[in-house]
Amino acid sequence: MATANVTGMTHRKVQVQSNFQRWAFLFMRVSGLALLILAVGHMMIQHVLNSSSNLSIQFVAAQWNSWGWKVFDMLLLAFALTHGMNGFRNVLEDYIHNPQTVKIVNTVLAIFTIITVLWAGYAIARFNSTPFMGN
Amino acid sequence: MSTLALTIRESIRYRGRSGHWSWVAHRISGLAILLFLTIHVWDTANAYFYPHIYAWTIDIFKWPPVAVGEIPLMAAVLYHAINGIRITVLDFKPEWWKHQKRSTQVSWGLFLLVFVPIGIFMFVTMIEHWQSMGDAWMAFPRLADYPPIN
Repeated sequence: MATANVTGMTHRKVQVQSNFQRWAFLFMRVSGLALLILAVGHMMIQHVLNSSSNLSIQFVAAQWNSWGWKVFDMLLLAFALTHGMNGFRNVLEDYIHNPQTVKIVNTVLAIFTIITVLWAGYAIARFNSTPFMGN
Repeated sequence: MSTLALTIRESIRYRGRSGHWSWVAHRISGLAILLFLTIHVWDTANAYFYPHIYAWTIDIFKWPPVAVGEIPLMAAVLYHAINGIRITVLDFKPEWWKHQKRSTQVSWGLFLLVFVPIGIFMFVTMIEHWQSMGDAWMAFPRLADYPPIN
């Protein structure tokens, strides 16, 4: 990728195959960038500007009364979980050497990730604040 | 699969100097965040599926032995974010690799600069909250005290 001429370094142009690992590598950088706003923002808003000691279902209902926060949380959910699970896959692949086992582990992680995102995403989308508001 | 003890020992063994420590910290903070995230996501979904269970588990998260975990969680997210920027920048800028050692120092410095005041603030807020709770501050929440909503 890099073509800059730097003393003390040898540079070679290589054609990087666009395979799954390459996409996973790029995905980690792109989702990481998104999480700088989504996850760090979430931590600052919920844990610094608001205090966890004020957290209650009424507090959640007040936030999820707006589609803006629902969309923010759904994006956070999707990016954080896929980024985290792909990172976990990277870690496990460092220690599991049997390709068959790697395949099984990856499948389990993928299924778990999809189920989790769907389950929690559905909950956010369907959440109705009305019963919790005004008390 | 390598044995766990061997993995941990070899991961800690000093090999790559500052970059190696960043790698260890990035990995541990990432795994710790993922563990909490998974619990947190399934728990938060209960706000819709089982609201009274959610009300109960929120109070478990506020129970002091669990609540203090919020501070290392903040540390993990901040370090992972800052070191993640460093990794990404260096991935696309091989000509900066000669500054690798300095880049890890900058990451740690930035992390401390951001985390220390936030950590202290969170800790003080937490202590004040516990003081306001009187004798019940350490009481573990019982599910029986959270009747079904609606």
